[in-house]
Amino acid sequence: MPDTAPSEFDPTGYIDERPGVFRVHRSVFLDPALFEREMERIFGRSWIYLCHESQIRAHGAYVATTIGRQPVFVIRQADGSIKAFLNACAHRGAALTARRSGTARTITCRYHGWSYAADGRCVMIRAEEGFHGSAIERASVSLAAVPRVATYKGFVFGCLDAAVDPLDEFLGDARAFIDLMADQSEQGMEILKGESVYMMRANWKLQTENSTDGYHVATVHRSFGTALSFRDSLLGTGADDPMKKTEAARILTLDKIVSGAYTLRNGHMINWSTRGMPEAVPLHERRARLEAVHGAEKVRWMIDRGRTVTIFPNLLLNDMASTCIRIWRPIAVDLTEIETWCLAPIGESAAARRARIRKYEDFFFPASLAVPDDVAAMEGAHAGSQASAHVWNDLALGRATMIAGADEAARALGVEPLTSNPGRESETAFDGFYREWRRRLAS
Amino acid sequence: MVPVDRAVAAEVEAIVAREAFLLDTRRWADWLALYADDAIFWVPAWASDDGFTTDPDNNVSLMYMDKAGLEARVFRIESADSWATEPLPFTAHLVTSVLVTATRGAELEASAAWLVRSFARTRGATLRGGRYDYVFRRAPDGLRIARKTVYVHDDRIVGALDVYNI
Repeated sequence: MPDTAPSEFDPTGYIDERPGVFRVHRSVFLDPALFEREMERIFGRSWIYLCHESQIRAHGAYVATTIGRQPVFVIRQADGSIKAFLNACAHRGAALTARRSGTARTITCRYHGWSYAADGRCVMIRAEEGFHGSAIERASVSLAAVPRVATYKGFVFGCLDAAVDPLDEFLGDARAFIDLMADQSEQGMEILKGESVYMMRANWKLQTENSTDGYHVATVHRSFGTALSFRDSLLGTGADDPMKKTEAARILTLDKIVSGAYTLRNGHMINWSTRGMPEAVPLHERRARLEAVHGAEKVRWMIDRGRTVTIFPNLLLNDMASTCIRIWRPIAVDLTEIETWCLAPIGESAAARRARIRKYEDFFFPASLAVPDDVAAMEGAHAGSQASAHVWNDLALGRATMIAGADEAARALGVEPLTSNPGRESETAFDGFYREWRRRLAS
Repeated sequence: MVPVDRAVAAEVEAIVAREAFLLDTRRWADWLALYADDAIFWVPAWASDDGFTTDPDNNVSLMYMDKAGLEARVFRIESADSWATEPLPFTAHLVTSVLVTATRGAELEASAAWLVRSFARTRGATLRGGRYDYVFRRAPDGLRIARKTVYVHDDRIVGALDVYNI
């Protein structure tokens, strides 16, 4: 295949796929026209993660977010169900809330005072009689709803395309991996208070890649490993409380650890690795109780293995050092906003909660010892993609060890990946993401 | 506000300025020495549109570190192995409106407003700001920082946020 940029809207040319070869053209990170196409065909038509239901427990509780570049808010209804609306007044489009979250059983536009109930119905038009004789009547104007909203085990998704396949079908085998996080407490899971939003001057797909990329961990996060090993040595950590231990030093020897990577249907990607010290995991205290409910094999997957679950196109559930939800919102072809939350089992001990939070702060925040290096790496990859002399990313690592279908660990969980690879450093899981990306752009 | 002896106020202003100076001139060991061995360095996160997290045991903070955590940060900076930290940005801490807000025995509390401008050739300039709340403790050879709370007003973090640029 020639080393020239593919034509604008022929997505086949962005990927060079032959037996034993899978290469992605670097212009996928740079092309503004392609970005517009992604907003329409991917973010406009896919299920997109909106929030966790624990963030909106009470009637009128809402969270504002985006679907692609469309501002939306998700709001709890009087009957306990969840709806989402475009964050724009039906009258002249003013944003209804500038807040990230809040509670409002009646939503009043600050511009001209139109008011809406939590279900989107317009309940008040100021100076309503002046509209007589026009098409505007209270009964005929309501907030534009996000046509499809669905929840899987507390994770709330929305889709701007009313004709989208059901969420359960879209998630498919990823549900078994979501369960490993969602089922950690019989009382449910909750988002912990404490916001984390940061900007990345790079294309959104670099975060999709980075989220499932095991190969960068031993290099980009080497300084995380050495700094925490140094801290552990100062504290003599763990003598009193095993949960204070970190597994940071293992980052340096990831290639020696039993691990794996899967491509699932619909563009989802998994990677996992065996934990060296399950007793360092805050969830370990619940082991016996979880085994009684879920059985030993599922709990083995929950506690003895760290996992990243990347849901197409922009959601990561990471249960490695701590439990993290991350989304990345495309702002422009070269600018992305990233937000993360710590998800915790309701009812865990105070010591486990504290350990979970400290481990989360160590790794997952823009002020942590790891995420700033990821951002620098992704910005570096974006900047380097401008170089036009060599324009293909060859996703070759682990191609020889990839197998079709499930490996033993996947079968034990009851899932059937498209491909499995016995090494989390492999790059083969990206194939599934980019095939789904290409399919949607072409559709 | 509490009535404060002018000499005490001057002493507090001096240690606040000294911390800014040591960070801006990258004298990491001297900077660490300002902190008591049992010190806590806390950077709350935004909790809602109206304020910051208040409970580090139950809320996620941007940072919540003991002195070993601060030492690990310095270790990481000095290792020059962190992509986000290499090259290290030049920083200018502008700390002002220093006010002693409470005194009790060997401890006193103070608050100050801060701006930090960071410049790295890789990223250009970033500017962020907020408030410091300090708890100082009197040691035989002067004041030590027993607790520092750094409120970062910027809710979308641009560039690395680390101990040297807040």
